[in-house]
Amino acid sequence: MPNNVIEVRQITKVFKDGTKALDDVSLDIVKNQVTVIIGPSGSGKSTLLRTLNLLEIPSSGQVFFEGTDLTSKGLDMNKHREKMGMVFQGFYLFPHLSVLDNLTVAPITVKKESPETAINRAKILLKQVGLSEKEQSYPNQLSGGQKQRIAIARALCMEPDVMLFDEPTSALDPEMIGEVLNVMRSLANQGMTMVVVTHEMGFAKEFGDHIVVMDQGKIIEEGTPEIIFNTPKNKRTQEFLRRVIEKA
Amino acid sequence: MNFSFLLDPYYQSLLLQGLFVTLVLALLAVFIGTLLALGLAIVRMSSFKPLKFIVVAYVEIIRGTPIVVQLIIMYSLLRLPVMLINNFDISPFIPGMFTLFINSSAYMSEVVRAGVASVDKGQSEAGRSLGLTQGQTFRKIILPQAIKNILPALGNEFVTLIKETSVLMYSGVAELTYQASMIKSETYSFMESYLVAAVLYFALTFPTSKLMAYLERRMKKADAK
Ligand SMILES: Nc1ncnc2c1ncn2[C@@H]1O[C@H](COP(=O)(O)OP(=O)(O)OP(=O)(O)O)[C@@H](O)[C@H]1O
Ligand SMILES: [Mg+2]
Repeated sequence: MPNNVIEVRQITKVFKDGTKALDDVSLDIVKNQVTVIIGPSGSGKSTLLRTLNLLEIPSSGQVFFEGTDLTSKGLDMNKHREKMGMVFQGFYLFPHLSVLDNLTVAPITVKKESPETAINRAKILLKQVGLSEKEQSYPNQLSGGQKQRIAIARALCMEPDVMLFDEPTSALDPEMIGEVLNVMRSLANQGMTMVVVTHEMGFAKEFGDHIVVMDQGKIIEEGTPEIIFNTPKNKRTQEFLRRVIEKA
Repeated sequence: MNFSFLLDPYYQSLLLQGLFVTLVLALLAVFIGTLLALGLAIVRMSSFKPLKFIVVAYVEIIRGTPIVVQLIIMYSLLRLPVMLINNFDISPFIPGMFTLFINSSAYMSEVVRAGVASVDKGQSEAGRSLGLTQGQTFRKIILPQAIKNILPALGNEFVTLIKETSVLMYSGVAELTYQASMIKSETYSFMESYLVAAVLYFALTFPTSKLMAYLERRMKKADAK
């Protein structure tokens, strides 16, 4: 229990239009591990990730974050979201703010940090993602890979306990994928707890501690990369991996 | 045609005063109307159904009825006591101003709503995922981006309001049309006085439209960079 940062218990998500995106899903996110969620398009990977910080509210079931039930009524969700960083496929940097302001707006507004404190940390993080020289730039002056690295730094500025990634490299030109994966790698090496939805099987094999395979709103198989990639038991996992490898 | 009143300093000052009052009214109406519209748009985007319904009804009714009719109704609803400012009774102006603000708020609320809706949903999710509350996300992330979409429409609304202030002549507010009617009844230059008023209105609205179009183009260019 103390080693699980997040515990998902039997969540189901039915959208307004009747689509059942998650069907009785339970999952543990273990501290300091990289959990990678894979599966075919439409299988519910994004929906599952988004229920972890309640951007999507489960229709039933519970999500525990550091022991607190996030689905309980009257809970101040914002306090918990602070501690969960999220990185989106579409970056979503704030276009009206400079890079530095993108990084400091949340610490200053939410944590009431002094601008100096926030700026200092922002500069350290910009250095970590290799973009110190861009602090005065605006998002529309950055390449896709740079935007995503800034987005990661922005999430890290809140000093989260866990980082959620939803296909962080899918919107990038191939030559820019590497720079983003490098940043994620160094995060993993620092022991950050990460949940990553990705099509990058290379990253999953190399850095995943735990692989979760989804299909049709269910987790159909989970285990270490060795087991999932070398000796998958589930037929649909085998099929999915065959298709992915054929494509690559 | 007799435009000789144009040379008379007395009539000149009437016209200038009218122009000034019109401009001030239109500016006030845009400003207060937009502030009200912001409130209306927020309520309309909220999830509280009964309030939402009231706002929608308000906006539809205001947009679906003529401003002159609204003014007359407002005038008979608001029977105000004499209110002196500098020995000058302002009570007749208040229903007119109200009508103008209400009218402008209804039109602007649609504009504000569309401007907010045009901001990518991912922006608010990014804000929320950082721990910002809904209100903080709206103020710091969504609104600044929405304003860019709202600004051009704000200019259009200003132009519209410059013209609509003319209904206030019915309630005795000394705006431009009112002054033109004063000049007409004193000089008997019927067409001429209104022609002058028309030219003055146009002198306000045309440059404003052009300026807005220019600003919009410049903003688009800055975006494309
Ligand atoms: N807001 C929504 N409203 C209705 N249906 C939705 C919504 N979001 C997702 N869905 C549906 O839920 C299912 C799961 O979607 P989800 O985005 O979680 O899949 P995914 O595994 O992330 O797919 P992809 O690999 O294409 O990103 C899909 O059938 C999708 O169409
Ligand atoms: Mg997805």
